[in-house]
Amino acid sequence: MVDAVRYVEASIVVLIVGSLVSLLFARRRKLCGWVSFAFVCASSVYTGLAVVGGCKGASGEHTILQLPQLGSRLTLRVDPLSAIFLAIVALIALLSTLYSVRYMEHYAHDKVAKFFPVLLLCVASMTGVLVCTDFLFFLIFWESMTLTSYFLVTFESENAASQRAGLKYFIITHGATLCMVAAALLLWRTSGSFHFDAIRQTLSALLNTRPFLAHSIIFLFFLGFATKAGILPMGDWLPDAHPVAPSGMSATLSGALVKLGIYGLVRLFCSFLVVSPSLRMWGIILALAGTGSLFVGNLTALRQTDTKRLMAFSTIGQIGYICLGLGVGAYCLPMYPALASIALAGAILHAVNHACFKSCLFLGAGSVLYRTGQRDMDKLGGLAGFMPYTTGTTTIASLSIAGVPPFNGFASKWLIIAGCVLAGMRFPLFLVLGLIALFISLATLASFLTVLGSVFLGKADPDIRTREVPISMIVPQVVLAALCVLLGIFPQLMLRFVGHAVADVTGITAAGVDASRIWGGLFLIDGSPVAFWSPLAMLAALAILALLSYAIQRAGGAQVRSVPVWYCGEEHAPATVRYPASSFYLPFKHAFQGIYPSGKVHVPRFPAPLRRALDFDQWLYVPAVRAMDAAADRVSRTHVGIPQIYLLWIVVGAIVVTGILLWVKG
Amino acid sequence: MTAWLMRSFLLCLLNAALALVLSPLCEGIMRKLRAAIHSRIGPPITQPYWDLFKLLGKEDLRSAGGVVYASLPAFTLGSVLLLAALIPMGTAAPLAFAGDMIVVLYVAAMSGILVMLVGFASASPYASIGSSREMMMLLSVEPILAIALVVGAFKARTLALGGIVNWQVQNGPSISMAIGGVAFFLALQALAGKLPFDIAEADQEIMGGPLVEQSGPRLALFRWAMWTKQLVLAFLLVEVFFPWPRLGIHQLDLLMTSVKVLVVLVLVAVIDVVNPRLRIDQAMGYFLRVAFSSLAALAFAVIGK
Amino acid sequence: MCVALKRGARPAAAVIAAIVTGLAVWLTWSTYGASYTKMGGALPWLHGIVDRPVLGIFIDPLASLMLLVVVPIGLLTVLYSTSYLTEKNREHPVGSEHYGRYYFWLLLFISSMVGVAIAPNFLQFFVFWELTTLCSWALISFHQNERSLRAGFKAILMTHVGSAFFLLAILILFVRTNSFDFSALGTLPDGLRSWVLLFLMLAAWAKAAQVPLQTWLPDAMEAPTPISAYLHAAAMVKAGVYLMARTVSSGWAIPPGMSLLMAGMALLTIFVALSFYFVQDDLKRLLAYSTIAHLGYVLLGVAVGGLGSTLGFQGGVLHIICHGYSKATLFFCAGTIAYVTGTRTISELRGLGRSMPLTATAFFIGLLSVTGVPPLACFWSKFMILSGAMRLSGPIGPLILVFILCETLISFGWMLYIGQKIFLGAPLAVVQVPSDPPRAMNATLILLMIGCVAAPLVGMPLVQLMGK
Repeated sequence: MVDAVRYVEASIVVLIVGSLVSLLFARRRKLCGWVSFAFVCASSVYTGLAVVGGCKGASGEHTILQLPQLGSRLTLRVDPLSAIFLAIVALIALLSTLYSVRYMEHYAHDKVAKFFPVLLLCVASMTGVLVCTDFLFFLIFWESMTLTSYFLVTFESENAASQRAGLKYFIITHGATLCMVAAALLLWRTSGSFHFDAIRQTLSALLNTRPFLAHSIIFLFFLGFATKAGILPMGDWLPDAHPVAPSGMSATLSGALVKLGIYGLVRLFCSFLVVSPSLRMWGIILALAGTGSLFVGNLTALRQTDTKRLMAFSTIGQIGYICLGLGVGAYCLPMYPALASIALAGAILHAVNHACFKSCLFLGAGSVLYRTGQRDMDKLGGLAGFMPYTTGTTTIASLSIAGVPPFNGFASKWLIIAGCVLAGMRFPLFLVLGLIALFISLATLASFLTVLGSVFLGKADPDIRTREVPISMIVPQVVLAALCVLLGIFPQLMLRFVGHAVADVTGITAAGVDASRIWGGLFLIDGSPVAFWSPLAMLAALAILALLSYAIQRAGGAQVRSVPVWYCGEEHAPATVRYPASSFYLPFKHAFQGIYPSGKVHVPRFPAPLRRALDFDQWLYVPAVRAMDAAADRVSRTHVGIPQIYLLWIVVGAIVVTGILLWVKG
Repeated sequence: MTAWLMRSFLLCLLNAALALVLSPLCEGIMRKLRAAIHSRIGPPITQPYWDLFKLLGKEDLRSAGGVVYASLPAFTLGSVLLLAALIPMGTAAPLAFAGDMIVVLYVAAMSGILVMLVGFASASPYASIGSSREMMMLLSVEPILAIALVVGAFKARTLALGGIVNWQVQNGPSISMAIGGVAFFLALQALAGKLPFDIAEADQEIMGGPLVEQSGPRLALFRWAMWTKQLVLAFLLVEVFFPWPRLGIHQLDLLMTSVKVLVVLVLVAVIDVVNPRLRIDQAMGYFLRVAFSSLAALAFAVIGK
Repeated sequence: MCVALKRGARPAAAVIAAIVTGLAVWLTWSTYGASYTKMGGALPWLHGIVDRPVLGIFIDPLASLMLLVVVPIGLLTVLYSTSYLTEKNREHPVGSEHYGRYYFWLLLFISSMVGVAIAPNFLQFFVFWELTTLCSWALISFHQNERSLRAGFKAILMTHVGSAFFLLAILILFVRTNSFDFSALGTLPDGLRSWVLLFLMLAAWAKAAQVPLQTWLPDAMEAPTPISAYLHAAAMVKAGVYLMARTVSSGWAIPPGMSLLMAGMALLTIFVALSFYFVQDDLKRLLAYSTIAHLGYVLLGVAVGGLGSTLGFQGGVLHIICHGYSKATLFFCAGTIAYVTGTRTISELRGLGRSMPLTATAFFIGLLSVTGVPPLACFWSKFMILSGAMRLSGPIGPLILVFILCETLISFGWMLYIGQKIFLGAPLAVVQVPSDPPRAMNATLILLMIGCVAAPLVGMPLVQLMGK
C-alpha cells in the first residue's frame, strides 16, 4: 500500500504549489480565494484517496530524505490512526477555505496575500505532521504548522489584541516544542534514531532500566502535545488566539490543528508506551488533566459574552473530554483491553465529532461577525429571522456539542462517560470523573443556549437590516451540520474506522465496542453487553411520539394567531427589554467566579547590579584605557625639551646600568 | 426481526399512552391533596383532564414564528414519552435495548432543554429569565440524578437500567442505594417543578417563566409534558431504588409499583404545600449539599455496603 | 582581486563581486567531495628562515563553506550598498564622492576574508586576519563623525588585544616546530599546547566578540548598515570562530579542559548577550547582541566537537553559514527600515508591515530563522549542536541542552515581540513611509530569504564531509 503515501505526498506538493500560485493572484481578493480553494480541493481529493487506503491498514513506509549523521530519515506512512486525523484535516481545510473566499472581504485593510498562501502551507504542514514517522521531521512539520498558524492568528495587523494573542500563542507553543525537542534528544541519546519504532523500543527499555529518565521524557512529550491540544493550564493560549483569528482560521485551529495535539497524545500513550504498568499512572494523570480542563474550560465558557471566545473556552472543555477518554483508555490498556478500546474509541470519535461541530460553530460565529461586525452577544439578538441557515446550523452544532441525543456529540460523550463508569467499577476515581463529565456536559449546554438565546432567538431591533451570508459561506456550515446529524444517527460509520485505528495503534484485539450493525445500535461489551445506544431506534421512537403529540396539539383544531410579545401591557422596543447574555445564569456564574485566574505577564526586570556587572566597558575597559592614557601622559611629561635634563637622564641611566651589572657580577 | 421490532414499538406506544393517560390523574390527586391540606374542597380529581381539553381547543397565540418554534411543544412531549419508553415501569422498558442509564439521563434533560429553547425563542424577558433559571435548576439537579443512578450501575456492574433493577431485586436493600434513593427523591421535587423549587415557573414572580408566551394547545402540551415527566421519574425512582417486595405475580407487582409511585407523588405534593419558594441561589446551595452528601452513597457502594 | 576604485564605480564593484562569487561557487563545486587541494608558494624574502610555502590556497569543506558565506554575502552587500549608500538615504545621505573609498575598503574586506578562508597555515591566516581588522576599522569609521571614529578605534583596539595573543601563539608555534601549519600544533608538548590554544582562543574571543571582549561589537553599529551586516554575518567576527574551527579540526586531540573552557565561555557569552536584549532600543544594537550570542553557539558547537563529538562540530560549522544568511537578512531589513524611515529606534517604529510587506516578510523569516524555528536555517545547525552535545557522555549534554533551550525560548520570545512591535500594529504617524525601498535592496532581501531556507541544504552536504 505505498499508494496511500504517494497520495499524501501529492497532496502536500499540491498545497505548496497552490500556496505559491495563490500568492501570484494575491492582488485580487476573490480570485486568490478561489484559486486557493481549487488547490485545496485537489489536495483534499488526494488526501481522501490516502485516507481510503490508510483506513484499511498501515501503508508501507516511504523514505524521501536521509540524514545519516543524525540518524534521521524523512519517512512517511499512513496508518488507520493518521488516516482518521487526515480526514479531519482535509475536510476542515476544504470547508474553511471555501468559507474564507467570501469571508475575507470582511478585512478591507489587510491583504489576502498573507492569508490564503499561509493557510495552504499550514494545511500542508498539518498533513505532514500526520504522516511523518520520524520525530525530527515530525517536529519540523509541527513547528511549521505553528509558524504558519501564528501568521494567520496575527492576520489583523492593526488589532492590538490579535498581536498579543499571536505572541502568546507562539511563545507558549514554541516552548512546548522545545520540550519535545529535549525529549526527542534525550531519547536519541540512547537509541541514536528518531524513528517512531525506535522511540517505542527505547522508551520501553528505559522504563525498565532508568524509570526516572523515562518518565521525565514522557512528561516532556506530554507537555508538548498537551499544550497544542489546549489542555489547561498549558492551553492558556487558546482562548486568546481563537477569537482574533479570521473565522475560517478559527475553525481550522479548533477543528483540525488542536486535534494534532490529541493525535500526538494518542501516539505517545497508546503506541510509544507499550503496555506497561506505568501506563496506569499516566492514564490517571491524563484523566485528571482532562477533567480539570473540561471543568474549568466549560465553566469559563459559560462566563463569556464574546461568541468566539466562548467557543474557544469550550474547545478547551471538549479537548478535556477527549483527554479524559484517553486517560481512561491508557489506564485500562494493560489490564482491561475491552474497556480501553471503549474509552479510546470514545476519545477519537469525540475528536472527529468535535471537528465537525466546533468548526461549524466558529463558522456560524464568523457569519454573524461578517454580517453584523459584532462578536459581543450582549449587543446581538434575533438574527434567526435574517439568517435562517446560520441559525439552523448553529443550533444543530450547539445541540451536538452539548451532547443532546441523537446528534453526534452524544455518541462520543456516551462512549467516554460509559468508559469512565465502567472503568470506575475497577478504580472508583473514574466514577467521580465520569460524573463531573456528565455534569459539565450540561454546563456546555448552558453556554451554547446563551449563544442561541441571545444571538439568534428573540426579537431583533426594528432598525437592524441584515441578511443571510453568501452561498459559499452557507455551504460549509450546512455540510458540517449535516455531518453532525449523520454521525449522530450512524456513529457506527465512523466507529468502525476508529475501532480499526485503536486496534492498529495499541495492538489490542479485544473489542469493547460492538459497532457491526448499521441499523441496530451500539453495544458496549464488558464481559457481557452492559451499555446500549441505538440512535436510529431512538430517533424513530421520538419521531413517532412527537408526531403523536403534534396530533394531540392539533386535535382541538385551534386557530393560530400571531401576537406581539406581552410586556405586561406596556410597549417596549425589543432591545430595551432584551435579557442580555451577561445576565444569563448569574447566580451560577458567581459560584464559579475565580475558576480561571488570569494575570498579566510583565516583562522581567533585569537586576541593575548585574547589569552594571555585565557592562565590561563601564568598569573594565574604559578605566583601563583611561589609566593607560594617564600613564602615557605622565611619561610624556618627562619629555620637557631641555637638553640638560636629557643628559642628566642619560647619566643617571648609565649609573644604574653599571650598578646592576656590577651587582650581577658580584 | 420485523415482528420483534413491531412488538417493541407497540410496547413503547403502550408505555407512552399509559403515562400520558395516567399523568393528569396523578396531578389531580395531588391537587386534591393540596386542597385538603389547605382545608379547601378543591377541584375534582379529573380537573386536569378538563384543563387539557379546554386548552387544546383554545386559540393558539404565538409571539414568534418559524417551523422550529411551532414544533417545539410536540418534541417536548415526545421526549418525555420517549423517556417513558426507556424506563422500566412495572415491566421491562420497551426501549431498553436502545438506551442505557446515560441515555436516560440525557433524554431526561431533553424536555428541559426544549422548554428553555421555547423560552428564549419567545422573546419575552420573563421567559428568558425563566429559561435561565430552569437551566440553573437543571445544572444543580442533574448531577444528583446521575450520582444516584451511577451508584446503581456500580453495584449492578451494568449500565442497563433493567440490569440495575434486577440486581436490586436479587440483592435486597443496601445503604448506598437507600442514600441514592433519598437523594433522587429530593431531586425529584425540583424536576417536577414543585415548591419549594418551582423557581423557573414562579407564577407569582415571572408568570410561568419559559411558558409565559405559551397559550392554547401549546400550553396544554407543555403542561402535559410536565405532569408526565413527574410520573415517569417517580416510576424510575421506585423501580430502581425501591423495587421490593417482588412477589413474582406480574399484576400484583404492577399494582404495588403504582401504589408506591402514588405514595412518592403524595410526598412530593405534601412537601410542595408546606414549603415556601426558595431563591435560586438558595436552591443551588441546597442541591450542592445534597449532591455532596449523595457522594456518600458512592463511597458506601465502593466499600460494598 | 581588489581594485582601487575611483568615484562612480559602483557597477564595477558589483561586477567584480559577482565574478568573485562565481569563482567561489565554482571552486566549491569543483572540490566538492574531492581530496583536499593545497597549493602554496614561498615568499622569497623569507628564504632561509622559513623553508616551507607560507602563502597558498587550501580548499577543504570547511574552507568552501566559509567561502560560500563570505563571498555571496559580500556580493549581496555590494549589491545592497549600490542603492543604500545614496543621497536618498534618510538616515545617512552619502554623496557620490565617498563611493571610491567605500567600495575600495569593502572589496578589500571581502578579499581579505577570502584570504582567511583559504589560508593553509597560521601565518597567512594571521596576515589576512589583520587585514580584516584594518578594513573593519576603516568601514566602521566610514561616516567620520565623532561616534563612528570612536567606535572604529575601539574595534581595532580590542581586536588587537586578541591579535597580540594570536601573534604570540604563532611565534611560540614557529619557534618550537619551525612550521606555521595548523597541524603543527599537534606536535607541541602538552603543557605548551594548552597555552598556545588558550592564546588562540583569546584571539578568537576578541575577534568574535565573546565575553569578556564583546563590547566593541555593539559600538561598531555606527558603521553603514551593509557593513554591519557583512561584519556580522560573514566577515570579521566569523573569522574568529573560523580560527577556532580550523584549530579544532586540524587533526589532533584538544585537551578536554580547554574544550570545556570554550564551551563554558560560549554558554556564558550566550547568556550575557541575552541579558542585553531587553534594554536595547536600537534595532541594530539588538541584532549585534544576538550576533554575539550566535557566535557563542558556533563556538559551543566547535567546543563540543573538541570534546569528541563530530556531530557537534559539524553543527557549529553549519551554524556559521545558517547564521550568516539569517543575520544578513535581519541587518539588511534594519538597513531598509533606516533607509526609508531615517530611524532605527525600536520605540519609534510601528506598523511598518503595511507599507513594507517585503521587508516585513524578510524580517520575520530572518528572525524566526535566527531563533531556530523549524524548518528555517538555524534550527538545523542548533539541532545538530544539541544532538552533538547529547552524544557526549556524562551530564554535559543534558546540561547544555537545558541551557540552550532556555536561551532559545527567551530570545525567541523577545525577538518575536520586537518584530511584532516594529511591523505589526497600527502605523505610527511619526513614521511616514513614502515609497518602497529601491529594487536592488528588495532583490537582496529576496535572495537572502531564499538563503534563510536553503542554507542548510547547501551546508549539510559540506559539513557531512567533515571529520572523516
